[in-house]
Amino acid sequence: MNDSFKYGVSLYSYTDDFSTVMDLEDAFYHVSETGASGIEILGETHVAGFPDPSTQWLDRWFRLIETSGLEPTNFASWIDTSVGAKRTMSVEEGAAQLDRDLRMAHRLGFRFMRPKFGVIDDELTPHPIWEGSVERVLDLAAKLDIIICPEIHAPTPIRHPVVDAYVAFIQRTGTKHFGLLLDTGIFQDRPLPYWPGETPEMRKSAMSFLNGIKVPVEQIAEVIDYVVFIQSKFHHIDETLHDHHIPWDRIVPALKSLGYSGYLSSEYEGVRDPWVSIEQVRRQHALIRRLERDFDAANAGPSTPEQTHA
Amino acid sequence: MLERNVIQSSGFSNRGPAGGRTGFRVRLRQPNYRGMRLSLVEGVDVTVDGVNFPATTNSVVLRGREYTRDALDALEETRWHVGEAIDVLIDHPGGLEPGVHRVETIVWMRHPYFPPQFRPVPMRDSQHVTIIV
Repeated sequence: MNDSFKYGVSLYSYTDDFSTVMDLEDAFYHVSETGASGIEILGETHVAGFPDPSTQWLDRWFRLIETSGLEPTNFASWIDTSVGAKRTMSVEEGAAQLDRDLRMAHRLGFRFMRPKFGVIDDELTPHPIWEGSVERVLDLAAKLDIIICPEIHAPTPIRHPVVDAYVAFIQRTGTKHFGLLLDTGIFQDRPLPYWPGETPEMRKSAMSFLNGIKVPVEQIAEVIDYVVFIQSKFHHIDETLHDHHIPWDRIVPALKSLGYSGYLSSEYEGVRDPWVSIEQVRRQHALIRRLERDFDAANAGPSTPEQTHA
Repeated sequence: MLERNVIQSSGFSNRGPAGGRTGFRVRLRQPNYRGMRLSLVEGVDVTVDGVNFPATTNSVVLRGREYTRDALDALEETRWHVGEAIDVLIDHPGGLEPGVHRVETIVWMRHPYFPPQFRPVPMRDSQHVTIIV
């Protein structure tokens, strides 16, 4: 009943540290030191020379995977639909980008690939080419055994036409190689501080979602059958292990009750002063592991697991 | 590795020979969290001590090749990687006086995954940086 979460870290967490005070070896070291088993990367950030990494870089990657024992989890990919100021990608071009990134993800050992399609409105509706492009690469994804998983990301909530369209696609095609990636930013229930350059006017209008879109955690149950990966978005955890924006004390029990046993891959997105991200990620792992232990302790009956159904 | 700020101290320099300066250059690291096709970069505004040099008149140098602002849109497969610097070239006969200058930059980026009303977005930095000669 109570399979454990898998813990991972996305190197997105180390944005701005990576390439100024942290190289790939340092990043692997810090992920390993959290006790995580998985590592997530962004193709266009962490693969040197993307999309044509050198043999030397590939050797470096495989050596790091081997020596760290970390498992490649999710490979972040971008489909830049508005590729020029006046030019939009065709379905075939979108498929070609997905094809390229699926092969790279597979080569590097990844099992999931998140495509980030360009959008057409404030609700983050993906450009309509997404469906045809993905459908063209489903056979390849099956052959490489990679699950393509677009993210459910604020300001888009769970109950939304974007999510409905993804679920309808899964149901129509019957594919096992397309699923949902849940970004925990959708559960944010307290306001973020202003980002650099953000004004009160912006916060009142287009950026109001930064106050938190407060999706009720109970709604995870409505899509859990399709959720294949979770990015544990967070912004600040203080020295008492209190998260100032994301309600982990409700998210963790909700996921445990639903039997989720996949990855929670940390995505720190907060103050970008040097090395802050390293400590923030460690705090998140301490916090979620503690909540998971608490849940397990509260739900471990003195006798057989069947009693949990009583 | 590069300096933490987007505007790099190293690289800020005059162009052209002493006595015949043609302009100056400002070196920037990739300000975004992922590498960007140059077709998604809509130029770089530069302001020095309050004097503005608009993106339309500045060119950029990536890996030794110079591109005008108008040329960027066609460069769909040329990427400005994370951890990589570009030089923004500004024409300014006489160059800048040696000494410390207040430099402000705006890299205009078109993120396809941002709502259309936020394309392009300005990615700003400002620093005090020094022209040595």
